[in-house]
Amino acid sequence: MSMGRAAVTRGVLLRLREQIDFTERAKELLEMKRDNLATETNKLMAKVAARREFEQKLMEAYETLRIAYMTLGYSELQSQGSAIGPLEVRTRLRSVVGVPVPEVVLGKKPSNSSITDPSAYSASNGLVQLVEQLLDLAEAEARIESIAQELMMTNRKVNALERVIIPKMRETLRYIEGRLEEETLEEFFRAKRVKAVIRGETR
Amino acid sequence: MRHGADIYLVTRVHGLRTHIIPARDIKILAKAKSLRDVFDNLMKTDYATDLGQLPAQDNDAATLERIFHKKLVDRFFFLSRTAQGKMQDLLIKYSARFEVENIKRIVRAKHGGVTSERPDLIPLPREHSLVNFPALLSAKDIDEVASLLRDTPYRVLLDKVESYKQSESTMILEAALDSVYFSNVWELAGKVPDGEGVRDLIGEEIDLRNLLIAFSLKAREIPQRVIEETIIPLFYAFPKATLHSLLQARLEDMPSILTRRYSRLASEAANLLKNESTLPFEWPFFRQLYSHASEAMSAYPLQAGYVLAYLLLCECETKNLVTIVTGKQLDLSDEEISKGLYEV
Repeated sequence: MSMGRAAVTRGVLLRLREQIDFTERAKELLEMKRDNLATETNKLMAKVAARREFEQKLMEAYETLRIAYMTLGYSELQSQGSAIGPLEVRTRLRSVVGVPVPEVVLGKKPSNSSITDPSAYSASNGLVQLVEQLLDLAEAEARIESIAQELMMTNRKVNALERVIIPKMRETLRYIEGRLEEETLEEFFRAKRVKAVIRGETR
Repeated sequence: MRHGADIYLVTRVHGLRTHIIPARDIKILAKAKSLRDVFDNLMKTDYATDLGQLPAQDNDAATLERIFHKKLVDRFFFLSRTAQGKMQDLLIKYSARFEVENIKRIVRAKHGGVTSERPDLIPLPREHSLVNFPALLSAKDIDEVASLLRDTPYRVLLDKVESYKQSESTMILEAALDSVYFSNVWELAGKVPDGEGVRDLIGEEIDLRNLLIAFSLKAREIPQRVIEETIIPLFYAFPKATLHSLLQARLEDMPSILTRRYSRLASEAANLLKNESTLPFEWPFFRQLYSHASEAMSAYPLQAGYVLAYLLLCECETKNLVTIVTGKQLDLSDEEISKGLYEV
């Protein structure tokens, strides 16, 4: 809203007041969204914090896998692994405070019940047990990424409204109010003068 | 040993025995700096011919493993061709372990729905098998695999398909294949002249496999009924009743149920399960088998048992070489690799 070009009328003043009221409510809503997104991020951060522990478990599982490879060789372990049923995972979008975030739904956990060799079973078991945790972690990280992006955008919008747009609108409002007041005074003065002139002529 | 052909076979095996890589050389290989060093050292052994045909860039562990298996298969079938009479029958049936292993690999792949790549089979020359592997590989599911095996010794798979579908596990099919294999071998072992050593080695292998199944499946808390179905229905040094008692006992009580022959091994296995050691669980079982084979070479130097002991030591050598090359490729430490070796 350019202050210099604003038409100084009562209609514009009324519309501007309405706009300021609307913008302030929008800012409050955005602030609420920002707070909710921040709360959601904090919740997810707790999940992501478990990543180090998860990575430790993953390294242990890989170590067992390496030992199994060494014991059985590539072809045998690959064959034992081929008996593991496939992992079924679906991803869908969910809305968290209006932000589309991915949701991972585990359909079917891979079944390693067909594995007969103890080394191969131990290696597969270590990894199969981590699948659910891995998906949880992946989901949390993807959500944080989306939410953090949205949080940044919302914060910018709130800042822009709070520090630039609303102050400018208020300034315009003050300008128009001032100009209208001036015009009212001028009108009053002019009317008074006219009245005086008319009175002098009659005298 | 009564027949000339059998005496010739044992004499031939005495010569072949000297081609097995000695334990000290295996240890040196385990301490080699790299896979390339292992490759170079193997060029001084029986593997040189096959290794020499490899392009320089192809000496990765998986390729070397294929060569080791090919050599093992060659060693088995060389003896089955050299032998005559009952001994030949036994060696042909004994060598069917590769065929069984390949069928198991196909069954696993079909169960897991692996379609993108074919399972890596042990290289088995066409003339040594009645099984049509290309057809099995192209089969769309386990039903088709079982029906393709209708005219082979593995027709029993047809009867097991229903149980497989109910349990959704290939364990029952693999157990059926093992049962067929060991029943055939066990039956022929009784017909071989001077076959005491043969029966001893095959019997020990059956017992050890049963113990391995009992321990590992019990540790996985698999129901007793399923374990019993998975066990090879043959017993050598311990009776069937002992196995029942084993399956009903707690894991820590299992060693006390077994006789001295297996009680130490059972204690070791129970400790491995308890301590969650990095040592593979099957390791003590195979170590006992190969140690027994090594002892059998001294116990039956002029009998058929010597031939089987030699074949088991060949298998042991292959396992050791696979462990070394895979360990080197995965950058495992010399200590870790040495721990996984079978010293016989």
